[in-house]
Amino acid sequence: MVLAALVGLWELYRWVWTSAGWTWPFRVDDTSMPHVWRIAKAFAEPAQVNQPALITVLLHKTLFTAKEAAAGFGLGAVVGFALGVVLVHSRLLQRGFLPYIVGSQTIPILAIAPMVVVWVNPKLPGSLQGWGAVAVIAAYLTFFPVAINTLRGLQSADPRALELMRTYAASRWTVLWKLRVPSSLPYVFSALRLAATASVVGAIIGELPSGIQSGLGGAILNFNQYYSLEPQELWATNVVAAALGIVFFVIVVAAEKIVVRRAPENVA
Amino acid sequence: MTSETGPSLGGRAARQAGEWVPALVVFVLVIAAWQGAITAFSIKQFLLPAPGDIVRSCWTDRHSLWPAGWYTFKEALGGFAIGSALGVLGATVIGRFRSLGSALMPVFIAANAVPIIAFAPIANVWFNPLSPHSKMAIAAVLCFLPVLVNTLRGLQSASPRQIELMRSYAASEIEIWRRVRVPTALPFLFTALKVASVLSMIGAVVGEYFGGSFNALGVLIRSDAQILNFERAWAGILVASVLGVALYAAVVLAERLVVRWSPERRVS
Repeated sequence: MVLAALVGLWELYRWVWTSAGWTWPFRVDDTSMPHVWRIAKAFAEPAQVNQPALITVLLHKTLFTAKEAAAGFGLGAVVGFALGVVLVHSRLLQRGFLPYIVGSQTIPILAIAPMVVVWVNPKLPGSLQGWGAVAVIAAYLTFFPVAINTLRGLQSADPRALELMRTYAASRWTVLWKLRVPSSLPYVFSALRLAATASVVGAIIGELPSGIQSGLGGAILNFNQYYSLEPQELWATNVVAAALGIVFFVIVVAAEKIVVRRAPENVA
Repeated sequence: MTSETGPSLGGRAARQAGEWVPALVVFVLVIAAWQGAITAFSIKQFLLPAPGDIVRSCWTDRHSLWPAGWYTFKEALGGFAIGSALGVLGATVIGRFRSLGSALMPVFIAANAVPIIAFAPIANVWFNPLSPHSKMAIAAVLCFLPVLVNTLRGLQSASPRQIELMRSYAASEIEIWRRVRVPTALPFLFTALKVASVLSMIGAVVGEYFGGSFNALGVLIRSDAQILNFERAWAGILVASVLGVALYAAVVLAERLVVRWSPERRVS
């Protein structure tokens, strides 16, 4: 239903703007906003002669990008969670590193992507060559929300419960696993939802400067060059990229439903 | 106010300085290790330039780097302002009608999971790639959703008891808005603005990757990386990060000035 509404809005906007001849905020024509059915049809047609239909090409590229994003997501989530666990135990480390963890996110990731590819690629075993570096970039975008929210979640444990554990002389490990981790789960999952999207963004951005052609990012860059001739192909690619982001998000939400049974208190 | 200033200004300043000492120590250690590793293992300059060289490049290329940074910063700032304003406006309208909010929320959440960066080339086509407006557009779209969702959540998180109390005093809707809903929403709004400040800078730089005027930072970093002038590329990244941190710090400062109550409820 939402999809139908979007398609309707798109065509309505097109129709109003072209028939009224409005050029603000931008000129509406077949290039800037191709008809929805042209985008849909682009899936079925081959993008280049002697190639399978665009949809099969894009599916392969999507799987490739999904692999990068999933690997990055896993790596980033583990690193982020570990960072959160380490930081919660030391005020000193928190003060020393937290500003840089926050600061690391202001670095425009695209800018460092080529350097990451140059560093990481030679150190990877053959099967990981190429896409492993992109996964690292995806992980870089993933770890931040997870680390910050894990820290907040671990700190959110009820102080009374903490005192109780202490009176029973519970070890740090017991406190961590029996009390802190369970109380942090709603926070961690709200971070993982953010991270799911971020890992897809990271995988797509990471492909741009690294010259990897077998993923969605490469496809976007490629179709961007032919946009004035074949706009519907770039649009089709973007629709697929959007769908991939939503699929990742839905998977995390489903996992959350299974793991976290109680209602998360208003977590940002 | 006067009682809050504490024992003495000097004592407070010293305590605040103490908060930052560990961060400074880490900073110095990392820079020293970086420079040391490069001299010790004679790492090649194209892999990782020495921090000293990067800072020197910041200075020697100041006539190209800083104006480019400023140009990109203006794009990011414009996008940040437009996107955040639209987000707050949207949240205000939707927050007024509860049913509208619950109907649209899933759409916003789904839209939030879309890798919006993939649409940067289309924004370039819509609004002339050489004009700063195309980058403002992509930065604005990036900022819009987090601000909208968080502000909406903030407006809805006012405690029902407070609102009933206001009603029992025959306060008008506007009065309730001004005295209850907006104050509770402000911490949520600032959380979103902090996220948006970082996103806007990334959006502007990434948007420039798909083409932009030659005096823009993203274009500069990309072309420097291509001709293996990594010192200047890193200097450009440094400039982008400094500007991103500056925008973030400005938002934090504004938050300190505006939200003076209940620091523990602040969602960092």
